[in-house]
Amino acid sequence: MKSYKLSETLKRILIYAVLIVFAFVMIFPFLYMLTTSFKLPKDTFRYPPRLLPRDALTVDVPGYDEPLPLYYVDVDGRQEQFALIESNIRIGVYADPNNPEMTVELPVSDVEPRGGFTNQEAITINGEEQKLWDVPLNGATVPMIQVSQTAYGRFADPNDLSREVLQNVRLSQPVEKLSAHPQNYSEVVALQGMDRSLSNTALVTILVVAGQLTTSILGGYAFARLRFPGRDKLFVIYLGTIMIPFVVLITPLYQLMVTIGWVDKLAALIVPWIFTAYGTFLMRQFFITIPKEIEEAALIDGASRLQILLRIFIPASTPALATLATFTFLYAWNSFFWPLVVINTGNVENHVLTLSLNVLRGRASDSPNLILAGAAIAILPPMIIFIFGQRFFVESATSSGVKG
Amino acid sequence: MTAATVGSREKQSPKSRVDLWLRVVMIWHVVLALGSLGGVAYVWLGGVTWAGWVKGVVTAVLLLLALFSAMAAVDINRRQHRGRTISLAVNYLGFLFALFGSMHLIGVFTGIDSLADSFMRGIPFLLLVFVGFFIGTLTDRYQNPATQRTLRQTSKAVMIVSGVAFLLAVGIHNGILALLSKLTDPLILLLVGGTAVFAVMLWAMWRQPSAEAMHATNADNEMLSGYLFLSPNLLGFLFFFAGPLLLSLYVSFTNWDAFGTKDWVGLANYGRIVNLDVARLDTITQLASEAIDVTVYDELTRFEILGRSYIVGAQDKLFWLSLRNTLTFVLLSVPLSVVPALFLSNLLNSKIAGMKFFRAVYFLPSVAAVVGIALVWQWLFNATIGYINYFITVAVNFLNSVGSGFFDPQIRWLSDSNTALLAVVIVAAWQWLGFNTVLFLAGLQNIPRALYEAATVDGANSWQQFWKVTLPLLAPTTFFVITTTTIQAMQIFEQVFILIPTNPAGPNNSTLTLVLYLYQKGFQRFEQGYASAIAWVLFIIIFGATLFQFQRQRTSGSSYDA
Repeated sequence: MKSYKLSETLKRILIYAVLIVFAFVMIFPFLYMLTTSFKLPKDTFRYPPRLLPRDALTVDVPGYDEPLPLYYVDVDGRQEQFALIESNIRIGVYADPNNPEMTVELPVSDVEPRGGFTNQEAITINGEEQKLWDVPLNGATVPMIQVSQTAYGRFADPNDLSREVLQNVRLSQPVEKLSAHPQNYSEVVALQGMDRSLSNTALVTILVVAGQLTTSILGGYAFARLRFPGRDKLFVIYLGTIMIPFVVLITPLYQLMVTIGWVDKLAALIVPWIFTAYGTFLMRQFFITIPKEIEEAALIDGASRLQILLRIFIPASTPALATLATFTFLYAWNSFFWPLVVINTGNVENHVLTLSLNVLRGRASDSPNLILAGAAIAILPPMIIFIFGQRFFVESATSSGVKG
Repeated sequence: MTAATVGSREKQSPKSRVDLWLRVVMIWHVVLALGSLGGVAYVWLGGVTWAGWVKGVVTAVLLLLALFSAMAAVDINRRQHRGRTISLAVNYLGFLFALFGSMHLIGVFTGIDSLADSFMRGIPFLLLVFVGFFIGTLTDRYQNPATQRTLRQTSKAVMIVSGVAFLLAVGIHNGILALLSKLTDPLILLLVGGTAVFAVMLWAMWRQPSAEAMHATNADNEMLSGYLFLSPNLLGFLFFFAGPLLLSLYVSFTNWDAFGTKDWVGLANYGRIVNLDVARLDTITQLASEAIDVTVYDELTRFEILGRSYIVGAQDKLFWLSLRNTLTFVLLSVPLSVVPALFLSNLLNSKIAGMKFFRAVYFLPSVAAVVGIALVWQWLFNATIGYINYFITVAVNFLNSVGSGFFDPQIRWLSDSNTALLAVVIVAAWQWLGFNTVLFLAGLQNIPRALYEAATVDGANSWQQFWKVTLPLLAPTTFFVITTTTIQAMQIFEQVFILIPTNPAGPNNSTLTLVLYLYQKGFQRFEQGYASAIAWVLFIIIFGATLFQFQRQRTSGSSYDA
C-alpha cells in the first residue's frame, strides 16, 4: 500500500512537471513580447538575451556635461562601480623581446618610439623586423616590441576621479537596474497610427458581432421553430457551405467590392461578415432545445413571433449568444487576409490592427521593442476579455463540433 | 387571436376600409407591372449604354417583376391567399432594394469610414452603455421589488443617456445632415420615395384585417414569418456568399485580370495548373532541354526507378512547389498539434487540481492574432539574438559539459531553405495545440467514468485503458480535430506571410504555400481567373482529404461496433 501511494505521488509530480513545461512553452512567447515591448532598443539586441528590460545606470560627474555610464571594474581584486570617462583609448600590448611571455598593456600615447619617430630602432625576431618602443615600467624605461593593439576605456571612481582603471569596454559589465519604457507604446502609436487602427478594429468588431448576432438569431429561430416549405433543404445547403474554404470566395468577393465601390472602405470589412451559415447553425441548435410549450402558451396569449423571440428565446440563450459573440469577436478582431486584400497599403486611415502590424513589420524592422509593442496592442484586448470570459471561449471551441 | 380580439379588430376597421386598402395594393401592382414592362421597353429602345449581359439581367428581373405583380393583382382581386404571399414578397424585395439602393447612393456604407474618424471619442460613452446594461443584470440579486424597479430604471436611464451621448460624440448629427444634403439628387429621391411606397404597401398587406380578408391560414402566416425571419440572413448569404461562389467558378474559366479583360478560356487555367510532362532520360545528369520541351515545361524533379532515369517537367512549376510545401506542412503540423494535444488532454483529465488553469494557459495562443504571434516568433527565431537559438546553445553547452561532442548548429531559421518551413510548422503547431487540447478534453469528459472502473476491475492497466477505452470512444472527437486541423493547415497563409521576412515565398520558394501562391497570382499579378482556378483546385484537395478521413472514420467506427 505504501509503495502504491509513493508511485501515485511520483505520477502526480511527473504529470505536473509535463503540464508546467508545456505551460511555459505556451506562455513564454507572450512574456517575451511583453518584456521586450518595454525595453530600450539597445537592450533588445543583447546576447545572451535577457527577459526583463534593464537600463544602464549613469552618474553625474563634475566636469562632464553628460551623465556617464557606470560599469563594474576590478580594482585590486575587488569589484567596484566606476564611470566610463573616456572610451576608445588605443592600447598597445607590449612584450619584452627577450621574454615574450611577459606583456604589459599601456595607452599608445604613453609610449615613445625608441630613437625617435624618424629612425626608430628595430630588432629581428624569427626573421621578422619588429620596431622597438620605450615603455615606462615601474619608473624605468624598457625597450619592448608591440605585440597587438586594442581599444580600452578609461574608468574612474565617480567620487574620486584620480582613481582610474583601464579596461576593455566591450567585455565590461555595465551597472544596470530593472526598468520599463512604456513610451515604446506611445512611440509606435505615433509611428504607425495604431490608435486609429485600434478604434477601426473596435468599430469593425462591434458592428460585425452585433450584425452577426442579429441575423443568426433571426435565421436560427426561423430554422428551429417556424415551418415553411423548403426549410430543411435550405438548412442542408447552409450546413454544406460551412466547410467551403474562404479562399474560394476571395477573388469574386473582391470583384463584388470593386463593383459596388467598397474597395478600401471599412464597409467591406463589416457587411459581408454579418451573414454566416455557422452562426445560424449554432443558434438553431440551441433554440431547438428550448421547450415548445412555453412558446405555444405565449402564442395563445397573443404574443407575436418577434415578442416571443425577444422575451423568451433571447433571455434563455445567453450562453449560446455569448459563445457566438466570442467566436465572432475573435474572428473579426484577428482577421488579416481579407483586410490585406481589400484595404490598400497606403490608406493608413482605414487600417485595422493586423494591417498596421504588417506595415510596421517593414518600417520598424530593426526595432523589436516597437514591433512587439504593436503586437501587444493587437493581442492584449482579446486576451484580457479571455481572462474574464474564459468559459465562453472554451465553449465556442467545443461547440464547433464535438457536441453537435 | 382569440375570437374576442378578432371581433374587436373587425369593429375597429370596417370591411369597407380593408377592401379599400386591398384595392390600393392591387392598383399598385398593376402600376408596378406596367411600369416594369415600360422599363423593359426603355432598356431595349431607349438606348441605354449597358453591356449585353447587364441588359439581359435587368430585362429578366423586370419581366419577373411584371409577371409576379400581375399575378398578385389578379389573386388579390379574387381574394386568394397566394396573392398576399406574392404581394408581400414583391414589396419586401422592392422595399429592400430601394432602401439599400438609396442608402448606397446616399453613402451610408462608405460613411462608416467617417464614423471611424470620430468613433474614438465615443468609446467612453459606449462603455457607459455597457455599465448601464450591467446594472440591469444586477436585478436578479435583489428580492425587494422596489430595489429591482429602481435598478431597472437606473439601468435604462444610463443606457439611454449614454447611448445618446455616444451618438452625439461620434457626430451622428453631422452625419445625418451630410446625408440629408444628398437628397436633392433625383435618383436618390426616387429611391427614397420608392422605399416609402413599398413600406406602405407591405404594411397594408401584412396587417391582420388584410390577412383575414385574404383568408390567411395559420400555416400561411407561419410560412411568411419563417421567410421574414430568415430573410436578412438568407439574402445576405446569397449576395455575399452563394453569388460570389458561383461567380468564382465562372471566373476560374476566364482570364479575368481585374482591369477589364475577361475572356472565356474554358479549362485552360486548370490545364495549365495540372500540366505535367514525364520523360525518360539517358542518364540522370542529362540536360533537361534534351528530354522535355523547356519552352513549355520547367524542370520539377528527376528520379530513378529500376535503373531508369526520369525527369518531370511542369508548366506551372510554382504551383507544384507550393503543393509540395503545403502537403509537407500539413503532414508535419497536423501530427505535431494533435498528438501532444491528445497526450496533454489525458493528463488534464486525470482529476488534477488546477485543470482549468492549465486549460486556460494552453488555450491562450488561439485567442491571439496570428499576425501578432508571427511577429513575436520572428524575433524568437532570430539567428543571432533569438531565444530559440539561445536555448539550443544552452542545451548544447550543458550536454558538452557532461562530456559529449555536440556542436552548436546556429540555425538560421527563417533564411535557410531547409528550416524556414519547419519554423512555420512550429509556430502553427504551437498555436493550434491548445485549441485541440481543449477539444479533446471536452470529448474525454463525455466518456463515462464507469467504463474505466469496469476496465480496472478487469485488470487493465492505464496504458491498456488508453488504447482500449479512451481512443475508441474518443474517435469522433479525434476525427473532428484531425479534419478541422487539416483543413486549416491546407489554407496556411498568414503565418507564412508575416513570419518570413522580405519575401514570404521564402528562400528558394521553400515556404510558398498554395494560398500564398493564390494571393500572389490574384492580388499581386492580378491574374484573378487563374487564382480562382487555384482556389478550386485547393477546394477539391481539401474536399478529397476530408472525404478520405470520413471514409476511414466510418470503417474504423464500424469495426469498433462489431
